[in-house]
Amino acid sequence: MRYALAETTPIAGATAPGPAPYDEMIDPDGDVRPHYAALARRVASLSDEDLAERQRLLERFFLLQGITFTVYGAESSTERIIPTDLLPRIIPAGEWATIEAGLVQRLRALNMFLADIYSDQKILMDGVVPRELVLGAPSYRREMQNLFVPHQAYANVCGSDLIRKPDGGFAVLEDNLRVPSGVSYMLANREAAKRTFPGSFRMAGVRRIEQYPDLLLSTLRSMAADWRPNPQVVVLTPGVYNSAYFEHAYLARLMGVPLVEGRDLVTHDNMVYMRTTTGLRRVDVIYRRVDDDFIDPLTFRRDSSLGVAGLFNAYRGGNVVICNAPGTGVADDKAVYAYVPEIISYYLGEDAILPNIETFLCREPSQLSHVLANLDKLVVKAVGASGGYGMLIGPHASRAERESFADALRADPENYIAQPTIQLSTAPCLIDGAIDPRHVDLRPFILSGDKIRVTPGALTRVALKKGSLVVNSSQGGGSKDTWVLGETEAGEAGA
Amino acid sequence: MMLARVADSLYWIGRYVERAEHMCRLADVLLNATLDRTESSGQVARMVISAVSDGEHPEDVSPWDAAMAITMESGDSDSVTAALARARENARQVRDQLTTETWERLNLIYLRVTGPRANREFSDAPSQFLHDIIADLHLFKGAADATMSHGEGWGFLQLGVFIERAQLTGRLLQAGFGRSLGRPVTEHAAMTALLRMSCALEPYLRKHTADIQPRLIRQFLMFDEDFPRSLRFATARIEEHLSGVGRNVDLGGAAGPERLAGRLKARLLYAEAETLTGEDSDLLVATVLEECARLHAGIYDTFVAYSLEMRLPA
Repeated sequence: MRYALAETTPIAGATAPGPAPYDEMIDPDGDVRPHYAALARRVASLSDEDLAERQRLLERFFLLQGITFTVYGAESSTERIIPTDLLPRIIPAGEWATIEAGLVQRLRALNMFLADIYSDQKILMDGVVPRELVLGAPSYRREMQNLFVPHQAYANVCGSDLIRKPDGGFAVLEDNLRVPSGVSYMLANREAAKRTFPGSFRMAGVRRIEQYPDLLLSTLRSMAADWRPNPQVVVLTPGVYNSAYFEHAYLARLMGVPLVEGRDLVTHDNMVYMRTTTGLRRVDVIYRRVDDDFIDPLTFRRDSSLGVAGLFNAYRGGNVVICNAPGTGVADDKAVYAYVPEIISYYLGEDAILPNIETFLCREPSQLSHVLANLDKLVVKAVGASGGYGMLIGPHASRAERESFADALRADPENYIAQPTIQLSTAPCLIDGAIDPRHVDLRPFILSGDKIRVTPGALTRVALKKGSLVVNSSQGGGSKDTWVLGETEAGEAGA
Repeated sequence: MMLARVADSLYWIGRYVERAEHMCRLADVLLNATLDRTESSGQVARMVISAVSDGEHPEDVSPWDAAMAITMESGDSDSVTAALARARENARQVRDQLTTETWERLNLIYLRVTGPRANREFSDAPSQFLHDIIADLHLFKGAADATMSHGEGWGFLQLGVFIERAQLTGRLLQAGFGRSLGRPVTEHAAMTALLRMSCALEPYLRKHTADIQPRLIRQFLMFDEDFPRSLRFATARIEEHLSGVGRNVDLGGAAGPERLAGRLKARLLYAEAETLTGEDSDLLVATVLEECARLHAGIYDTFVAYSLEMRLPA
């Protein structure tokens, strides 16, 4: 296979280049890692045309399924598929066991944290997490105070972003406890990979992920009140123009439950009903894919037309369950993130299995001065913002940008955190007909209801631009299938 | 039980798909007629244009431009591409209700007719282009029939198909034989074209042999029991599917659209087909069109936009 390791790109302005990124397939000596051996042999046996043909097959699959987003032009609009890479990313069983244990531990602790801050607030009284950090966060919902949540499962669906550091260990970059998306791409990528690499797939002994919709449904059902024998679950979508609409429809179809919009629901006597052809029908559990702010114009944003008036009162009354619970965002806040290791040890008495990325809180004067002195090496993020806004990537910024950002930092230090620039690991990708390393991250999906379940698979997001560390699909990112191998290290066996 | 909005979308998918297929046939027959330089090609062109336009008769449009407009013009116009785009948009909104097989067929057609090469393909070989769309639409209907549950959702899809179909056949009858238009078709070629537009030529020949007469054509398109595009056939299916989807609706004693559908079916079933005068036929066709419009509104009021006070749980 014509594949060379990514060179460490010296970042302009940085004093020293960091360590070389970890490569998922090739070890530092240039040998193929054992779990990649079968796939590497298969790919090496394919000509450029074969690879290109498979890539076309893959893209056609996505186009046919309508897994597309629309690009609106002046005259007409065209449908584009989300860029998808042909070559799967492979994770051996041993590494996955650590990831799984770490994710379960983390979500258990975060759910306990949410249950605590929305009731007795013991962790705040004990001073483990600063009170104003939690109660002052915009994602903290006073309305959730003392509200009963079954199984203390606040974040029923969680998608955490993991990265692999140059030393090969995984770390958590971000928790997504609000309305994480991407799981449909995990499932669609898998469906496509089975068509493009059937032989390698079978030989590798990849663990199944197709049960995800069933697990999601039983998680959602477990949230319903136990006196409702056959709870009606629905998926609430903002509508067909939402960029994740495909995913909402996909999950509803695979769970076999109605996909509703706000206008399909009405509340009456603190109960929620949907409008069917034969009249109103009671709804028990709402898997909402609408942000907190928009679910109920009477409780949250008044200008929202995506939600249902009166929904939150019905929720408070225990007549309907909203999944994820409103107010979970306070636990994936960028400043609270820095305290997650302490949160884990406070509630569980354990050390965090998956480490955090080192984070400097600018609200602490000593850390602020460190950040100001090292602005050229750090990534600084605004606490409330997401999607790459309000962010300074020190090594890439000009002196003037850094100086104006430093002023903003001094003026409002509480609003900022800083992290070192991290070299994401790289994985082989098919780029313009050639195989080339690109930076990747990993988003597994964790479900919590009556119990916590991790699906053995993930969405691997790829920064398709050479050298880029940005994997977001809005900024030139793509995705690829992720193979988690079973206990028997079958990666070696393929011949 | 299904969401009211979903039922509405399925109904519209049925309508748009049926409309797109019909327009394809119209455009194809129109282009074919232009190959002969005879009086009949003029009759065909007039017939098609009056069948697709509501009252306005732009006389100066060339048959080619008319066929192009019927097929490709997008936006608000009633064209094949516009109908397919709307069908697909509705399908996207109820994607969870369609089987993957059904969705894929419709999505494929949509991608083809809106793709960057569509205009050129149409210009290069319009008949082939139209033929392919019709064949793909048949695949769509076949996939829906073979893979979707024939329950409530199916009922709304079929209601859309047959109400649209009854209206399209009715309008075609008006365009071909209506007294008000003053120029009923008489030429042999124009009459075969009329049969082709409703996909009725071969079934007609099998029933009446090559004895092509306006009276028999009219009888066939209105009263034939087995031909799937006759008014009698379409109205019988409307009644059948409406009684299926209406079974579980409690209207508290009020009459639903089923009553309209049953009466309309009976009108065609018991009409004195053999002795009906031209004038009476015109009246009957006009009645069918009016009743279909009332059914359309009745379905919406009963299943989709009902008032909540009537249906609150006790």
